[in-house]
Amino acid sequence: MTPASNARRAAQSIVLVGLFASLVMALAIDTTFAQGPFGVGAAGPPHPPSGIAGWVLAKQAEYYRALGAMIRAAKADGSAAVGLLGLSFAYGIFHAAGPGHGKAVISSYLVANEETWRRGVVLSFAAALIQALIAIIIVTIAAALIGATAKMMGDTVRIIETVSYLLIMALGARLLWVKGNGFAVALRETLAPTVALRAAGAAVAVDASPLSPPHRHDDDGHHHHAYDRGDHDHAGADHVHDGACDHAHGPEPQTLAGRGGWARGLSAIVAVGLRPCSGAILVLVFALAQGLFPLGVAATLVMGLGTAITVAAIATFAVFAKGIAQRVARERAGYGTLLMRGLECAAAAAVLGFGTLLLAGYMASERMFVV
Amino acid sequence: MIDRFVEPLCLALAACLALAWLGPGPACAHPHVWVTSKSEVVYGPDGSVTGVRHAWTFDDMFSTFALQGIQPKQKGVFTREDLAPLAEVNITSLKEFDYFTHAKADGKKATFTDPVDYWLDYKDNVLILHFTLPLKVPVKAKTLALELYDPTFFVDFSFADKEPVGLSGAPANCKVNVQRPAATAPPAGQQLGEAFFNALTSSSNFGAQFANAAMVMCP
Repeated sequence: MTPASNARRAAQSIVLVGLFASLVMALAIDTTFAQGPFGVGAAGPPHPPSGIAGWVLAKQAEYYRALGAMIRAAKADGSAAVGLLGLSFAYGIFHAAGPGHGKAVISSYLVANEETWRRGVVLSFAAALIQALIAIIIVTIAAALIGATAKMMGDTVRIIETVSYLLIMALGARLLWVKGNGFAVALRETLAPTVALRAAGAAVAVDASPLSPPHRHDDDGHHHHAYDRGDHDHAGADHVHDGACDHAHGPEPQTLAGRGGWARGLSAIVAVGLRPCSGAILVLVFALAQGLFPLGVAATLVMGLGTAITVAAIATFAVFAKGIAQRVARERAGYGTLLMRGLECAAAAAVLGFGTLLLAGYMASERMFVV
Repeated sequence: MIDRFVEPLCLALAACLALAWLGPGPACAHPHVWVTSKSEVVYGPDGSVTGVRHAWTFDDMFSTFALQGIQPKQKGVFTREDLAPLAEVNITSLKEFDYFTHAKADGKKATFTDPVDYWLDYKDNVLILHFTLPLKVPVKAKTLALELYDPTFFVDFSFADKEPVGLSGAPANCKVNVQRPAATAPPAGQQLGEAFFNALTSSSNFGAQFANAAMVMCP
């Protein structure tokens, strides 16, 4: 390799880490700031969203408004039901780009938690399904069975919302505890290398050199493997490190992911999926009023499917982005491990942060109605 | 092999996401409620502004949702009495959002007190919320700027097509100029001429791009 290609790789690494950081930031904005800590109007009129975000918003609004018209049409002509389902699907795909569908929480959870993209996809679909079911259950019980008012439904959602945010906080706190320990250990080992680590110095030196062709080859092999297993951390330089320290750092990834990890996955999807989508509730109540409740239920489920696709795509991207960051990190030996542990720690803190901000009302995942 | 493919893909995706989410504006939510507003600026006998009277027409999906569980005395006919509890809830809930109404008298922020004279009507499958927002202190103002918007974009406000902002009991020489959000095209037949905007920029400095804004001038 030439110095030029070395410099290029270094630049590439910086760009990738930067992009990853921007992804985390981008996901943080997933949840819209409600009225801001200073109250409505303090900041003056908002700017209209423009560019891609503006386009996505405009599409959502357009589809959403069309949903109502379609339900009305279906009342007169049953064949409009097909159009309604198609529209619901499209709305779901676009709508998930908005807040309140757990993109941020699921993605951060996956990044913090040594998860594979396959599990990310499964979690996204499960969360979307739960979200759709909760909306259906609420409207079925509240509106269809006991004739509750819109305000009572809104109050119910607010209670569920609070529980959901508390669960997200608990999830984040637990992750932060586990990942914080891992980070602390990595920090200690990076700043004060042990004798054992120095003994393994030769191996580390070989692995740490980004110029070493065998390393590159080795790295790629492990990386590929990583996408399938999710326990890729213990390859290359890390492996030497772990061997030398006799598994000193934190719990193994396997205790969080992999077999037996589904219970924890379940806690994530329940925390995220518990809060129903306001749009789905409106559509269901509207369909009920038109005497087309089953159609509303079908539309809600299809909407959930669309939502799941978007969330799964973003979650998958987060996992792959982490994989790339991990490969970059592996080329930096000790500091690389520290970087990865730090990243996981930050993602865990983000989950806790989302839960806290949502609960405090500084971020509105999606406002409930003015009724 | 896979990495060769994944890396550029991830880069492209990251760039798209960054563009989409780090773009201007905090908005990610789309409106779930549409309101068509007709308002009146109310003047006292001495020519000072005493408040703003709103009539907000909700969209039919939200109207249906809001009516859920309300039992009218006569089936299908919702009277003001039937809707009184709902109106109460609406007005109470709106307080948190400052009634989405922002006013400046001669450039100074004007404060409103709690609404008076509020009620709901139900007509043509939609709800119309009527209420009056009194100013805390009535003001005599050469210019009164009135804006209607939801900073969270949950409620989409638009001025009614015809006479969105009227004057009630205003001195004879007062005039109203109306500006609609730039983001939404004016409805057919409502295309505003260039002259309108020229007139607007010469006499006012509307910063609002997304708000429905009205400027009342009483020279």
